Amino acid sequence: MKSVIAAIVSCALASQAYAASQPMTAMQAPLASKSLLLDIENVEQAFMVVVGERGHILKSFDGEHWEQLAVPVQSTLTAVTFVDLKYGWAVGHDNTILATTDGGKNWEVQQFLPEREKPLLDVVFKDRDNGVAIGAYGQFFRTVDGGKNWSEEFHSEFLHEEDVEYLNELKLEDEEAYLDERASILPHFNKMVMDGRTSYLVGEVGLIAKSNDFGKTWQQFDSIYEGSFFDIERTQQGNLLTAGLRGNVFRSLRNGTPWQHIDTGSTSLVNDIVLTSDDRLLLLGNNGTLLISEDDGQRFSARPQPDGKALISGTWYRNKLVAVSEDGIKTITIAK
Amino acid sequence: MSINPVINKLENGIFKHRAFVLAFFALTTVVLLFQATQLKLDAAFTKNIPLNHEYMQTYLKHQKDFGGANNILISVCDAEGDIFNEPFFDALKGVHDQLFFIPGVDRILVKSLFSPSTRFVEVVEDGFAGGPVIPANFRPDEQGLSVVKGNIEKAGIVGRMVADDYSCSMVTASLMEIDPSTGEKLDTLSIAEQLENDIRAQYENDRITVHVIGFAKMVGDVANGAKGVVVFFAIAIAITAIMVFFFCRSITLTLLPISCSLIAVIWQMGMLSSLGFGIDPMSILVPFLVFAIGVSHGVQMINSVVKQVRTGINCKEGAQNSFRALLIPGGVALLSDTIGFITLLSIDIGIIRELAITASLGVAMIILTNLVLLPVLISYMKLENKPLKASKRGGMHKSDVWHAMAALATRGPATVILVLTAGLYVFGLYHAQNMKIGELHAGAPSLHENSRYNQDTFLITDRYAISVDYISVIVETTPDACTSYDNLDVIDRFQWQLENVQGVQSAVSLASIAKIVNSGYNEGNPKWRVLSRNQQTLVQSIARVPTSSGLLNRDCSVMPVILFLEDHKAATITRVVDKVKAVASELNNDNLTFKLASGPVGVMAATNEAVEAAQLPMMLYVYGAVIILCLVSFKSVRATISVVLPLYIVSTLAQGVMTGLDIGLTVSTLPVIALGVGIGVDYGIYILSTMNARLKEGDSVEQAYFAALQERGSAVLLTGVTLAIGVSTWFFSALKFQVDMGILLTFMFLVNMLAAIIVLPAIAAFLWPKPKKDEKKQ
Repeated sequence: MKSVIAAIVSCALASQAYAASQPMTAMQAPLASKSLLLDIENVEQAFMVVVGERGHILKSFDGEHWEQLAVPVQSTLTAVTFVDLKYGWAVGHDNTILATTDGGKNWEVQQFLPEREKPLLDVVFKDRDNGVAIGAYGQFFRTVDGGKNWSEEFHSEFLHEEDVEYLNELKLEDEEAYLDERASILPHFNKMVMDGRTSYLVGEVGLIAKSNDFGKTWQQFDSIYEGSFFDIERTQQGNLLTAGLRGNVFRSLRNGTPWQHIDTGSTSLVNDIVLTSDDRLLLLGNNGTLLISEDDGQRFSARPQPDGKALISGTWYRNKLVAVSEDGIKTITIAK
Repeated sequence: MSINPVINKLENGIFKHRAFVLAFFALTTVVLLFQATQLKLDAAFTKNIPLNHEYMQTYLKHQKDFGGANNILISVCDAEGDIFNEPFFDALKGVHDQLFFIPGVDRILVKSLFSPSTRFVEVVEDGFAGGPVIPANFRPDEQGLSVVKGNIEKAGIVGRMVADDYSCSMVTASLMEIDPSTGEKLDTLSIAEQLENDIRAQYENDRITVHVIGFAKMVGDVANGAKGVVVFFAIAIAITAIMVFFFCRSITLTLLPISCSLIAVIWQMGMLSSLGFGIDPMSILVPFLVFAIGVSHGVQMINSVVKQVRTGINCKEGAQNSFRALLIPGGVALLSDTIGFITLLSIDIGIIRELAITASLGVAMIILTNLVLLPVLISYMKLENKPLKASKRGGMHKSDVWHAMAALATRGPATVILVLTAGLYVFGLYHAQNMKIGELHAGAPSLHENSRYNQDTFLITDRYAISVDYISVIVETTPDACTSYDNLDVIDRFQWQLENVQGVQSAVSLASIAKIVNSGYNEGNPKWRVLSRNQQTLVQSIARVPTSSGLLNRDCSVMPVILFLEDHKAATITRVVDKVKAVASELNNDNLTFKLASGPVGVMAATNEAVEAAQLPMMLYVYGAVIILCLVSFKSVRATISVVLPLYIVSTLAQGVMTGLDIGLTVSTLPVIALGVGIGVDYGIYILSTMNARLKEGDSVEQAYFAALQERGSAVLLTGVTLAIGVSTWFFSALKFQVDMGILLTFMFLVNMLAAIIVLPAIAAFLWPKPKKDEKKQ
């Protein structure tokens, strides 16, 4: 399927010219907190920020009252991160990168490239200067100056051998076709997670990789699954858990044992892994899926949300799960 | 008067050939009675909508592609709260099949879990997998049902086709205008009957309940309720008869005006049938009204004859004199009634026009039966002592009352009355400003809130995410417009702005579905729930949305945005429609326009606007007609003012009452205002026709008014009470709109009567100067 989409995208890129691509300011909407929201960031347990469709960014100190912030784009935002109470970044469709230096009051557009027709899907920052934004088709942007400049990296270590050969041949024949093809040959990078000095990356076609130099070079894990992964976390007990398409969850112990498939009893896409402060693991997924593990991810019990709406991202905030879903923000109490 | 020779000729002609006249009436009545028995109840969806309204033009233009607003929704529910059992699925399948085979149902648009177009799609590692929600090899056993349950979740139809709590499942269908098997106009009432007999009666039991809503069912229920009207009719006749009897103390005199009024009703119904009309359940009250008006004029006639006879002449002469005396005021009054009804033709809604025709026909018949037939019949009677005594005895008593009342026409009391009236007027005007247009209550406003139909409506809106109150905004563009990101993005932004309007529950359009499909193409990842800027990807998403979804037409040049509303209250509709207009004017561009409207609420919005727009012109026409008729018959501006001013005040008060009682201005209450004015003017005309003659002879206002009271006072009182009783029986109707009409008409009849005998003389007291002759006399 991927190659089909890749082909479509490349021929579309060649054929389409963009007229106006000035971003439009997001509309203040009463229903913003009930719209499709895609990521939630718990900023030092002091406040939370959520982002989602139509350039919606909302902030709350208590998880109940949400204030919609002024945002200069209407693009769907897919991820948000803060390094401290002031400095934060949000990324999303139209290759948008936004930044704030005042805790979300004002957002500035650092990148807006709708003509690329590709979304960014995650953003991570080590500190106020060093950050990475990743996205569809292996897009990888890096900044060392807090986002004043973003430079793109092409991570050829994710190419299959035959793709490398194919690209090399194409480069000799037709430079333009080569660039087009290169722009869509890599798998989607879905999520990057920092774990001390190590960074983990998960993505399409079973991609799991790790890096010890904040993503400059990556080592791929052996393939364990052909579907996509959407999250990876180090658990409270120090083991690795990754989750993805159709309820597929794998676990690797801290000493690096082979990945072990965990039967979740669910076939729904898992969007997010949430660690609670009381040593539980939560899996948030489509179709209202909420899976709870009390034994570090060996077994999960289901607590489906009755409305069946996708739970997309969550955080453990003051002993409650605050999650964003396809119809907005939800606070869920999970008694032990 | 130049009209006198004509009246003389008529009088002579009629009373010389009484037998001939009677034979003519008898024969016509027999023929029309036969015709009347052929009269059918007739209801059609299009009659209820203002077809020429801008919104309805859009609606009709796209009806073929998107179906209309004439839908049937059947929710089959399991009383135990869970549909996954064999009896339920058997019943659901039965309902689906039965509905499918009802002639007039658009079979392609019959949808339920059992229709092959109800499919699920799921994302698997290598793409999509999918199939019908109920597989071909479905067996309603535990395994089969759990597969179906899984498929229902994957299909994303919970809230639409399956209740949120899995206690019900929905079968929907669209009705056609023409029955394809006969080629004739769809018989809505027969469909309603089949829904009741072939579906509900057959499948509803202790465990399964069947809830049917939709225009056809609503009309069917209205028609059933309307049949109860016969009982009210009988009660009204009985009460009226008793009233008339106490007035004249003669059984024959009681029977005559009542029979003549019934003849008018028979003629009216017979003529309707002969002209090819049916009677709509919504206007079933008109025969009532005709009867009541007939009796009220009949009472004037017997009153006059009795008074004539009391002076010692025989019945025939009395009848002849009464004919002569009443032809003008009675004729003018009835003519103004007729014109009041005819003005309703100016409203471009089929059902109101039908009401206008039905009612004006009926009133025109009264001119013949009660101003011609009645005196002729009376002329055969031998009226002697009995009624004479009765009225004498009463007369003594009455004339004291009349004397006291005549004082109202002197300037002292008149001042008090006018000040009070002005106060009332200001009060009424204040409330009238707040009169709401449209339906103010949830559910079908024609029916009571606790009716089965409305209870079913509430159940469906309660258990499903959908609402039957939806409005479609039609996006008109160029062919293949849906393949352009820019177009869909505009639609998407439009939809979002509307979703944020208070009262909008949810919304759906091709844009919002395309986003979900796009996410589906990306493994179901919600982060991809966007409109792709890439044309090929966008086309790929749209290709998965079939035209049967009702979200696009064949070449996707037309795409509706469907807004589901919380209710259809006038305020909600106005808020949404205003926002649609505002956002549309902001987003419309060279190749894309947002147009109102389709869907049930679209129809209501158009109707509300048509009703609101019709209100002022209708009032102008009615009052114009009344004023002209008064000017012509009285030849006096002062007389005209005296008659029309109280009428106007009462109209305003009636609007205030509507606000107070939460009755909105709708297709059924709008005509009431015209009817109220048309009929209300009768009293004034009767009173003033006597007064006017006296005033011209130089009497004081007080004297003239006293004379008028003596001559017509009791008849006017009786008329008002009779009419009011006739319509007040509607209070007990099974139909909400009849109750509303009943309240308003009762109010208008009674208060107009009071205004005619209290406010009219007070106004006259100031309009006519005190003549010198008056002082001499006193």
